[in-house]
Amino acid sequence: MSGSVRALAAAVLAVAGLSGVSGCATPDAPREPRTGTVLTVTRVSPLDAKLSWHGKAPGAAGRIVEFATEPRGPWTILTYAPLSQTTYQHPDLLPETHFYYRLRPYYGPASRPVDVTLPKGSFTKAEQRAEHDWAPPRTIRRAGVRTGPARRPAATPTDLRAKIMHANGIRFTWTDHAEGERGYLLEDRPRGGGSFRPVAVLDPDINSFGLITLPNEKRASYRVRPVTYGERSNIARLTTGERPAGRG
Amino acid sequence: MSTKYRVIAGISAACGLLLAASGAAHAEVEPGGWSSESPGFKVQERGCGQVDNLTFTLTCSTASGDQRAERRYDTYTGGTHQFEGYFRVTSMGGTRISLKQTFNDTDGDAGPYFMLAVERGGRLYAVHGGDTLSNAGTVGATVRVNTVHEVGEEHRTYINGSLKHTVDSPGGSFYDKFGAYRTSSGNGPATVVWSNVKFWRK
Repeated sequence: MSGSVRALAAAVLAVAGLSGVSGCATPDAPREPRTGTVLTVTRVSPLDAKLSWHGKAPGAAGRIVEFATEPRGPWTILTYAPLSQTTYQHPDLLPETHFYYRLRPYYGPASRPVDVTLPKGSFTKAEQRAEHDWAPPRTIRRAGVRTGPARRPAATPTDLRAKIMHANGIRFTWTDHAEGERGYLLEDRPRGGGSFRPVAVLDPDINSFGLITLPNEKRASYRVRPVTYGERSNIARLTTGERPAGRG
Repeated sequence: MSTKYRVIAGISAACGLLLAASGAAHAEVEPGGWSSESPGFKVQERGCGQVDNLTFTLTCSTASGDQRAERRYDTYTGGTHQFEGYFRVTSMGGTRISLKQTFNDTDGDAGPYFMLAVERGGRLYAVHGGDTLSNAGTVGATVRVNTVHEVGEEHRTYINGSLKHTVDSPGGSFYDKFGAYRTSSGNGPATVVWSNVKFWRK
């Protein structure tokens, strides 16, 4: 190995080891994608991380941002980011701990939205006492339903219906046309709000779910989508610093 | 092997060693010196609470009395103790359900010292004081919880890796509990699934 090559290798290792930002691929990390998402993470303070990414994910509904503190996980989803989002702040982290991050695009056609206006007020005492058998996620079997791969338009959920159960409860049902989905997202956009966001993450084949709403969801639009995941980004790593004296 | 490939192989090997070493040294969180431990526990089912391994269910919407499905771990005294676990609220028809507690077991001061609860819609909050910790408790979402308890000093709660709550801690004896527990102002039904629960101490 030539002196210049050794110097290059040493520099790469020094940067990886000292900067708190790793260029190392973890054992289970894919090669950096050619057309997918490329992720970097920087320490903006001893305990604050900023993720930045670029790349294309044609046809994706958005990206999930995940973290772990061991290279093989378990991975936890931090947020569902719309495609237009390219940064994420992960603040006030565990001190002197390794953090691993990755992104995955998610796909799936959303149903047509339904608008819901709930009655005024909150749970009545009678409603609180009532059984909410309608609320747990469940699969209602339907025969003769045409299905398609979860990313395809043929998988678009149909017949989304919202039945108002009480002042804070809505039962949603829909027809599941998806094959191979990893789950379903129920998304809402409160009246006056910006974009749809997930309010429930449901298992595959679920087509009935009762949502208990928040105060700002008295008037909102709702939709459901089956989801699958695409090619994950590289894994980016950082190590947090010490907890400053007197900080929490 | 060409020089170029030797360099790549060397860097890859070094990276592998770095990651392997770091993974071994930092499987736990916060600075080192931790020892993994496996405290014993008892399963508690009260009222309409049902426990099936790590699935905890309140089957009723009764807004009074003891409604709980929990694991109650062994009491510890002194030192620093760390809890890590992942929960997923798989259904929640009810209102406010406590998920994880650090319980004061000291004679004369016994009672829930820290209670992490979820409110319908996914708001996670500290029952004492009502502070909002996060909105990550949406039905179906997996949430990671770490608590670090320096007995006699401080109790810190991290949600998805971020510090969300700090409270001074008295000395004495404490224990961890998790599952699904009706708060005084809440009710079921609810089902909570926990996973990857770990404990350390130093």
